[in-house]
Amino acid sequence: MANFGNIANRLYRGEANLNIVGKRRLWFSVAGGVVAVSILALIIFGFKAGIEFSGGNEFQVPVKVGSLSQVEQVVTDAVHAVQPDAKIQTGQQIGDGTGAVYSVRTPTLSDTETTQVHNAIAEKFGLDPNDVIGSRVSASWGEQVSNQALLSLAIFLVAVTAYLSVRFEWRMAVAAVASLVFNLIATAAVYSIVGFEVSPATVIGFLTILGFALYDVVVVFDKVQENTRGITGKSNETYAEATNLALNQTFMRSINTSLVALLPVGGLLFIGAGLLGAGTLKDLGLVLFIGMGMAVYSSLFFATPFLVWLKEMEPAIANHTKRVLARRAAPRVAADTPAQKSPVGAPALAGATPKTGAKPVQAKSGGAAKGAAKPGVRPARPGGKRR
Amino acid sequence: MRPGRQLAFLGAIFVILGAIVWFGGKGGWQDRLEPRLGLDLVGGTRVTLEATTRDGNPPSREDLEQARQIIEDRVNARGVAEAEVVTEGDRNIVISVASVAKDALSDVGQASKLYFRKVITLTDGSGPAAAPASPTPGATTSPAASPAATSTPSPKASGTGGGAAAEPSATPTPAPTTSASPGATGEATRRLTEAELKAKVGAAAWDAGKGLTAVPTDAAVIETLKPFGNLAARYEVTSLPPEMQYYIPQITCEKLDRRVPGAIDKADEKAVACQGQTKFFLDVAKVAGTDIDKATPQIEQNTGQRVVSLTFQGDGQTKWTELTREAYGNTGDPKCDQAALGDQGKCLVAAVLDNKIVSAPEIQGVLTSTSQISGNFDAKSAQDLADALNFGALAVTFGEAESKAVTATLGEEYLQAGLLAAGIGMALVIVYSFFYYRLLGSVIFLSLVLSGLLTFGMLVFLGREMGFTLTLAGIAGFIVSLGVAADSFVIYFERLKDEIREGRSPRSAVQRAWIRARKTILTANAISLMAAVILYLFSSGPVAGFAFALGLATALDLLVVFLFRYPIMALFARTPAFLSPRISGLGRVLREAKETN
Repeated sequence: MANFGNIANRLYRGEANLNIVGKRRLWFSVAGGVVAVSILALIIFGFKAGIEFSGGNEFQVPVKVGSLSQVEQVVTDAVHAVQPDAKIQTGQQIGDGTGAVYSVRTPTLSDTETTQVHNAIAEKFGLDPNDVIGSRVSASWGEQVSNQALLSLAIFLVAVTAYLSVRFEWRMAVAAVASLVFNLIATAAVYSIVGFEVSPATVIGFLTILGFALYDVVVVFDKVQENTRGITGKSNETYAEATNLALNQTFMRSINTSLVALLPVGGLLFIGAGLLGAGTLKDLGLVLFIGMGMAVYSSLFFATPFLVWLKEMEPAIANHTKRVLARRAAPRVAADTPAQKSPVGAPALAGATPKTGAKPVQAKSGGAAKGAAKPGVRPARPGGKRR
Repeated sequence: MRPGRQLAFLGAIFVILGAIVWFGGKGGWQDRLEPRLGLDLVGGTRVTLEATTRDGNPPSREDLEQARQIIEDRVNARGVAEAEVVTEGDRNIVISVASVAKDALSDVGQASKLYFRKVITLTDGSGPAAAPASPTPGATTSPAASPAATSTPSPKASGTGGGAAAEPSATPTPAPTTSASPGATGEATRRLTEAELKAKVGAAAWDAGKGLTAVPTDAAVIETLKPFGNLAARYEVTSLPPEMQYYIPQITCEKLDRRVPGAIDKADEKAVACQGQTKFFLDVAKVAGTDIDKATPQIEQNTGQRVVSLTFQGDGQTKWTELTREAYGNTGDPKCDQAALGDQGKCLVAAVLDNKIVSAPEIQGVLTSTSQISGNFDAKSAQDLADALNFGALAVTFGEAESKAVTATLGEEYLQAGLLAAGIGMALVIVYSFFYYRLLGSVIFLSLVLSGLLTFGMLVFLGREMGFTLTLAGIAGFIVSLGVAADSFVIYFERLKDEIREGRSPRSAVQRAWIRARKTILTANAISLMAAVILYLFSSGPVAGFAFALGLATALDLLVVFLFRYPIMALFARTPAFLSPRISGLGRVLREAKETN
């Protein structure tokens, strides 16, 4: 427990020294595996398109037979007799007065099934079959809407890449968009595996993730940019190490922002699934929850390692990394004392903590009791291990 | 550096929005404060359009689906949010929208087939010139009877290109609603053959009508034709050959306007149509609405009149130039009748929308570029015509719309559940922020409350002004935006901790952290705004609705961040309480900072 508290404490200060960037291969294999499984799942399971996408049947029953929920129940039973897993939509009352009818929509039924259901409903309510009106309804979400949505998604990706290229640099833009795409694929796959029906609401939930996923990445990259500014001019840390430090410094921030963002969505999912049992809220809650959860993971464990991988292909950065490592290998003995407090006991990697190490001298005075947890006396991070 | 000013500005926004919400509404406080809720939450109106065809058979599946898409576009173009448009059975299109004014959707099923037809001749269409019995040969209907149709010379006379000739005339009805009166008993429901028509009016009348080569002036002839006056407008008049529709005075404009929708939608047939009480005999259509690339409502500079400006696409421009050349020189076959020439002695070309003439200007030059249709448009009818032309003509025509009220698709309990979820979400965020940030949590709390109030006010306002409706998915979107709004606080507060840990005084840390966090927050929000704008511009239907909500939530978030959070933090930093570790939530960081210094 104390140990855990300690880790949380260090996380909180951005001093947990989690070597995330160093374990790039691990994260890339995880991501690769997730994408492979996702694509497989999407191919095998596909999506269960809701009536809004595929069209269906509609049955209209005069209101005089009873309440809407009774009618819904009867229609559900009648449809389940021919299609056991069909999902019946909630009904509506159309019009008022004598001509009013209840209308209930079902998934697409074949002609014989339609007749069966039609007769079953009429029989159940003791109506003449002619009083029950059955008709085929088309999709309301036409292909046109989907095509336009896909087009605008593509335009958005291009625009956001351009924007991030200007705001940061193109490698960061590519890493951010790659992480977004990873996110969307994985979310779609989870949805497909769970087998919930795709409705317009879930598509919209899906789009909501777009902005959020990038939000997290921007927060991390902002810090990365700050930490690595002019890095090639210094020789005390590599790009990967500086990036890893940025990750550690923003780790708690990411956890916090995600938690704060996930809490309301959790409420949505809880209410949707727990209280209402089914329907739009649950579908929406699930999409959002998974998507936002994935966004947190991918901003920390995919986008940033991916960025480092891209950056190290840049000659300037590659040379710099070599130089730093070479320099470090030589004056080993010159490392300062705090290195001994390094939690991992790694060889001293001098000065790998440029930001918080700003006041190491004063820190010593009051810091004896507090030990390694103090800012300033923070030991070097074992980032060098990765090679 | 004057926090007061920003807070005052925010206060002013609140006062203005509050006033708009309160005084813009009517009724009791509940009505004034109610946002417009979507079809799924409170129900609305369901409009059923039944396809009518010239031959009475159901339209093809593809035609019906195409019509569905066009109607969906039109409905969306009216700013009615989140309409659901489906085909039902083999000839119905069902539009469901959250409650709107009853007639708002009455003409979405309008076929909107626009044709440009040269006017061959024209006559008075108000009925037999005088009482049919009394011979009044002098009363020959002539163009003189309807001078308004063609007179006013356009300020931009002749010349090639530029504006089209254009003067409005008589009483055009740019957005004709097909207001057939199906009540008439025994009315045919399909087109009739000549034999059937002949049986209806009697052989004598039929033969007399058939033989006409001009509008009769002889009272005896008019008397013979009397049985034609009993023909029902919808299908029977439609079934008459165009020559007979034109020459027989008993076929009045009032009847012609009530022909079945699509009565004259064949481009290769001559046609008869009216504008006000003037009956026009029209040549085959040489330019169609499908040749139009874009139609835009405009206000014409010189006259201040509303016009619909047209640009043509493909060979449409060539066709249009040909048609205007033919009209300008009166070189076509058939030639325009002397009576049907305009003031400058040039032919008229009528823009015929469905069964009626929108305007019939005299062609004052060979037109080689953008052209305009004029008519007595108001802002709405000009926009409607432009929309109808832009979104294409329906391959199918629809009869009168039947609208009924519908109840919510999801129901009241979903609205309550959505609001409950929002409440729980907000409570969780607030508990978390108090737990984690203690006193600073109150800043988050207040900001969320302010955001919530602003959002609510905007929803009420936009619902009233733009017909923006809040659906369940929309509520979920705002729940997410709650979390994202709180996110920007976390970013800022963590920055603040960094700064304090580095040894800055709270007061300068508030400044520095703000400058740095601002950049991050702006970048992140810029992405959200970009997503919203792009989705809104390039998508339609529910996706566009979502984009709007996303954009709104992001913009309001930015507003609260800049006008509330920053100034309030600046104020906080001046108070001693802020420095007290126990309540500020910066406790540990502050303590450490002190120790190290």
